[in-house]
Amino acid sequence: MDPYLATEWKYDDTETTLTLTIRDGVTFSDGEKLDAEAVAVSMNRFKSGTGPDAGYMRNVDTIKADGATSVVVTFTAPDPAFLNYLTRTAGLVMSPKAVSNADLPTNPVGSGPYTLDVGATVTETSYTFVQREGYWNKDVQHYEKIVMRVFQDPTSMLNALRANELNYAKLAVADTFDQAKAAGWTLNKNELDFQGLLLFDRAGTQVKELGDVRVRQAINHAIDRPALLQAVALGFGTVSTQVFPTTSVAYDKSLDERYPYDVAKAKSLMKEAGYEAGFNITMPSSAVLGTTVYALITQALGEIGIRVTNEDPGSNFIADMLAPKWSACFMALEQNPDWQLTQFMIAKDAVFNPFKYADPDVDAMLNEYRTAAQDRRTEIIKELNKHIVEQAWFAPFYRVEGVVATDPKTAVKMLPTNTLPNIYDITPA
Amino acid sequence: MLGFLGRRIVSGVVLVFAITTLAFLLLYLGSGDIARRILGQTATQEQVTAKAHELGLDRPIWEQYTGWLGNALSGNLGRSWFSGQLVIDGVTNRLTVTLSLVIGATIITALIAVVLGVWAALAGGWVDRTIQFLTVLGMAVPGFLIAVALVVVFAINLGWFNATGYTSIADDAFAWARSVTLPIVALSIGGASAVTQQIRGSVVDALQRDYVRTLRSRGLSTRSVVFKHVLRNAVGPALAVLNVQFVGMLGGAVIVEQVFQMPGLGQLAVGATTQGDVPIVMGLVVTTAIIVIVVNLVIDIAQGLLNPKVRLA
Repeated sequence: MDPYLATEWKYDDTETTLTLTIRDGVTFSDGEKLDAEAVAVSMNRFKSGTGPDAGYMRNVDTIKADGATSVVVTFTAPDPAFLNYLTRTAGLVMSPKAVSNADLPTNPVGSGPYTLDVGATVTETSYTFVQREGYWNKDVQHYEKIVMRVFQDPTSMLNALRANELNYAKLAVADTFDQAKAAGWTLNKNELDFQGLLLFDRAGTQVKELGDVRVRQAINHAIDRPALLQAVALGFGTVSTQVFPTTSVAYDKSLDERYPYDVAKAKSLMKEAGYEAGFNITMPSSAVLGTTVYALITQALGEIGIRVTNEDPGSNFIADMLAPKWSACFMALEQNPDWQLTQFMIAKDAVFNPFKYADPDVDAMLNEYRTAAQDRRTEIIKELNKHIVEQAWFAPFYRVEGVVATDPKTAVKMLPTNTLPNIYDITPA
Repeated sequence: MLGFLGRRIVSGVVLVFAITTLAFLLLYLGSGDIARRILGQTATQEQVTAKAHELGLDRPIWEQYTGWLGNALSGNLGRSWFSGQLVIDGVTNRLTVTLSLVIGATIITALIAVVLGVWAALAGGWVDRTIQFLTVLGMAVPGFLIAVALVVVFAINLGWFNATGYTSIADDAFAWARSVTLPIVALSIGGASAVTQQIRGSVVDALQRDYVRTLRSRGLSTRSVVFKHVLRNAVGPALAVLNVQFVGMLGGAVIVEQVFQMPGLGQLAVGATTQGDVPIVMGLVVTTAIIVIVVNLVIDIAQGLLNPKVRLA
């Protein structure tokens, strides 16, 4: 983490008070001064708002300006992911004068290196940004003007790329990778998301068979990961059986060997658990995640007697999944930094733990982690990862390669934790 | 004529009211948990409930509808639930793009249809058969396939036109032409084929009528007979077909705008419908209904001017 709008940050010993030092001399595009007061107003507004990421502030108690350049944040409980949230939406600062503007959603006022050219912008189609005079950090203003275009269709994006209408493109579909390469573009990669089955109903409240760890392990053994990776993502990715990213201290390469493809072993686990005859399960499917993968999952689980019925909830996919409506689900999830990841998919009240499954061992580890020293945290999170893999909370298949393509005139620096690079990291080649 | 206009305007208003009511009901039934969709996967249930309340989704449907209607009558169509953009801005921004395409395609359709239709009817023989074959082909091949082929040949390989995007005519007329040519061609081929057939049929039919024989017997040239008399009679039915084509093109524009990534109403409709952005969809329903009704009215007036008998109907 590098200093930016905050030049320094410091927790107290109990990690319940954070003091941020705000850079001096920064202004907003409407001419207002960006000071501690402005930061406090923005953060408080974010905390009490209904934005998608307001949950980032759930452990925050108060946010107050202390003088012109100091902001003090107090917490109801330590939140080891908080600084990371501040590098995301929670740390975006708005001009206090502009927050009540009715047209703020389409005519934003910020403190960044570019401003939106509203006249040249069509919402949700193309956004034109122009370099801002008086921005404090000239070094990151690489372009006079940046036009961002929204593509709803991967083929149209590929057409635009091949017709030299773009310099940079986030490619979402694996079968466009080779064509972009053939057109002379560079593929810049990272592996941020994992895809696989989320076995939500670990207590077996809806599908009692899933409550048995041997069944969840059998599911893991039934998956031919390398073949799936080839068939679904055309080999662009790396097979894995753990949900922590390779950049995490929790990541343990040997855990990826825990569940090799072994149908005989899977069947014997099913038999041991007393479910030799198999069982029925309904899972959601969504075209967004492709179509072949569902057929392959149904087939793989069918091999060990698990009869899958796929159900397409349309655009209610996420809402129904979190309702919770299904015991298990194929999904792509973001692999965040450690604490954030646990709060996203492992903790009792995590959003992607819709059955609110609680495991006393996991609870104990997370409770200790919250206040432990850094060395101890590393031990705990390693232990936690091992426990989750052993208990087969998930059946991850692989980490998919995210690809950002750039033309010969453009270079990009990828971040290990973000799907997309920062605008500062896209430069003329 | 005034009474005729008055009746048509009143029925138009009733129609817009009926369409919006029906659309609102259908959207309401299909909207599901929209607050969750707006907030995304990390939002808590409390945030979702608060958002639903903020949008008024916890009120009964009739209250929501009358609220929408009251605002709409005072010219306020609300804001997009997802982008926060004023619906009226979103729609008017994109209206010029779609109208550029649809009006352009209608003009091209009419020109091609008159030239080829009259030519086929007058020339007969292999010219007629070739034109008929081409028009059947034009109607059979789906518009999006034509669009994709045009992009590959004229945008990617030859680089003459844009593969995607739209430039406003006010910014740069040449760039505008480069951006709209391929979509207009893709959009007009199907319609041009249908109207060509219609005009050819009408002209062939008219040429066999007694009045044509009489005119010819008086020594009028074929050109004069065709352009002064036959075409005037053939144009009524052709206008009716053109009207249907225009409405069809509003639908066809959805696909063409997707292929060429043009910021038109069609693209907005696809995005808003899949997201469940009710204010935007309702704005589009009102706009499209008004366009269709106005175009119908204009065509009716044109036909009335050409043929006074229509006005009685």
